[in-house]
Amino acid sequence: MLTNRRKDALVAAVLVAPFLAIYLLVFVWPTIQMFGISFTDAPLIGSGEWVGLDNYARLDSDPRFRTAAWNTAYFVLLTVLPGTVVALLIALGVARLKGRLQAAVLALFFLPYILPVSVVYLIWDWVLNFQFGILMHVFDLLGIDRIPITKSRTWFMPAVGIVTIWWTAGFSILLFLAGLRSIPAEIYEAAALDSAGRWTTFRRITWPLLWPVTTLVFTIQLIAQLKIFDQVYLFSQGGRPNDNVVLVYYVFQRAFQQDQGGRAAAVAVTLFVLVVVVSVLQFTLLRMAGGRR
Amino acid sequence: MTVNGLMKAALIATVGFAGVARAEETVVWWDFLGGGDGVRMKKMIEDFNAAHAGQVRIDATTLEWGTPFYAKVQTSAAVGEAPDLMTYHASRIPLAVQQGVLQEITAEDWAAMGLSSADFAPATWDAVSIDGKQYAVPLDTHPIVLYYNKDLLAAAGMLDENGLPKGLDSREGFTATLQALKDNGVTFPLGSVTADGNFMFRTIYSLMGQQGGSLMTAGEFLAGDNGEKLANALGVLADWTKAGLQSTYTDYPATVALFTSGEAAMMINGVWEVPTMTDLAAQGKLFNWGAVELPVIFDQPATYADSHAFAIPANEGKEMTPEKRAAVLAVMSWMSKNSLFWATAGHIPANGAVTASDEYKALEPNATYSSLTANMIFDPKTPLAGVAGPIFDVMSTYFVPTLNGEMDPAEAVEAIKEELNAL
Repeated sequence: MLTNRRKDALVAAVLVAPFLAIYLLVFVWPTIQMFGISFTDAPLIGSGEWVGLDNYARLDSDPRFRTAAWNTAYFVLLTVLPGTVVALLIALGVARLKGRLQAAVLALFFLPYILPVSVVYLIWDWVLNFQFGILMHVFDLLGIDRIPITKSRTWFMPAVGIVTIWWTAGFSILLFLAGLRSIPAEIYEAAALDSAGRWTTFRRITWPLLWPVTTLVFTIQLIAQLKIFDQVYLFSQGGRPNDNVVLVYYVFQRAFQQDQGGRAAAVAVTLFVLVVVVSVLQFTLLRMAGGRR
Repeated sequence: MTVNGLMKAALIATVGFAGVARAEETVVWWDFLGGGDGVRMKKMIEDFNAAHAGQVRIDATTLEWGTPFYAKVQTSAAVGEAPDLMTYHASRIPLAVQQGVLQEITAEDWAAMGLSSADFAPATWDAVSIDGKQYAVPLDTHPIVLYYNKDLLAAAGMLDENGLPKGLDSREGFTATLQALKDNGVTFPLGSVTADGNFMFRTIYSLMGQQGGSLMTAGEFLAGDNGEKLANALGVLADWTKAGLQSTYTDYPATVALFTSGEAAMMINGVWEVPTMTDLAAQGKLFNWGAVELPVIFDQPATYADSHAFAIPANEGKEMTPEKRAAVLAVMSWMSKNSLFWATAGHIPANGAVTASDEYKALEPNATYSSLTANMIFDPKTPLAGVAGPIFDVMSTYFVPTLNGEMDPAEAVEAIKEELNAL
């Protein structure tokens, strides 16, 4: 018995070892290095002089960092909650369908999710382009003035937010659908026998039983949207990147455009801490809220 | 035992391959030439390979222009994975030398290539030199020019007897030409890349040069009345926007499309779009077109130009064999001496012997705009300059709002000055 357990442990260790080794090598070790570099004036390649907390102190008076932080927060606001709500609504709708039709509709909603971001960008540029976009021709027909959507400060983030929800909702819908399917049918039958209305059924049964999935979707969304880069980078190319800059984009600019590895690392560390704090806080709060029910 | 045997086999195979490969030297080549000029370059590479079959073969890859290209070069050189040869913008050489990305082109190298400073214009030679050492072999200079739709201009009565647009000699004259086009029903008299501040740097810097202004004097940005000159340059463009004479919030591809579709009558763009026009014209899909030196909006003609050059990356921990270096030098020398074909991509070859040839002098539209070579201005020589570099980046932030009427030019200049001097 004892030998068996020891053997089990050994087998487990052997199975976990490759993952652990790679994880330590390409994730943990670079992360530690990133913290180290953030205290130096290193360029993109090579090492630099120790400068203490200078890189962090400079962030305070750095207008571009402020823009980036604000834009990121704005983007999170525009996508996380609306994205979760949209996905939930669509999932509730899809769940009412049956058989092949359900599969077909689900596939339609999931399709955008499998597209690479560059394709998503191209599709939406054909829609939104100020000179040639389809939407602009619709505006012309309706007699509305054209709006340079991806070139204006006002419209950029909302537009990228909508595109992002369109693009990523499929995954959240799948999660919600799985959650809905795991709610036993008997509960609904019992509710129906008690002549509970649709709204009551949703509020008293679906919503609380779906809460763990909602928490998960919300947290995944939050982390993903705090790390937003691709869409903002693509949509602001040949436009005004410095007005639309978000935190990861700012890291990219500092590191690859300005050749300032140290200052880039300081921004990256700040974002890292932010993501950890916000997501832990958020997850705990949501679970507590769920537990009270 | 089997593992041992396998390794031995692999070893023998490797040695065997190396023995075969020695006969032909492969030069790994990276460039960022993705446009119409890239097609020309591929043809030149094919020609080179055909002429050097069995001796040297170029293995070429085209990468994304701008920051992606230069970031990849820097990171790959640091780990010894850079190519043997690459294209480079002369404006980025000061930064590259500071980063230690480039190998020096030594006097022996120049002798081996059969080229020297005498083959290049002094400004071009200077653009690839840092502290008296050369870091690249210039291939061309590529300025911006004014493209124009002859049919639309003629219809508006704005073409002179030589077939050139009227009013190229003054701000009033050129504005009058734009206005006449507008009055004649042209949607956008001037197609401008107003959504892309990076691109507009070229036009705005040219307009500063037309007032004798400079971006950087004695290490300070926009000192003295240079700020005012930048404001003047921005003011001209902002006024055209206000008067509805140029396209607003237009990105690069859209600008080219507006011009080639006839919605914009004129366009300020790089000579690298010449192949786009010649190819479309050859397919019968384009109107009569021309390209000419930028109009003189202020006191003197001046046009911004950069230079494509060939450079050898400093591969960390990977010494280049003498055979390989000889092959790389052979490629650069051949490309420079055969750059007449490159001129069909609109560029002005850097090699003086090529531009002095009769064939080059007869080449259109190059001959029409070649007058500008006397008036070219280059980026300031600092690690902060260069395409997709920090100066480009800072200025572009404020160009877009100014050019589209969201921001006052003077306000933009103040902000630019502050940010540039904080670099």
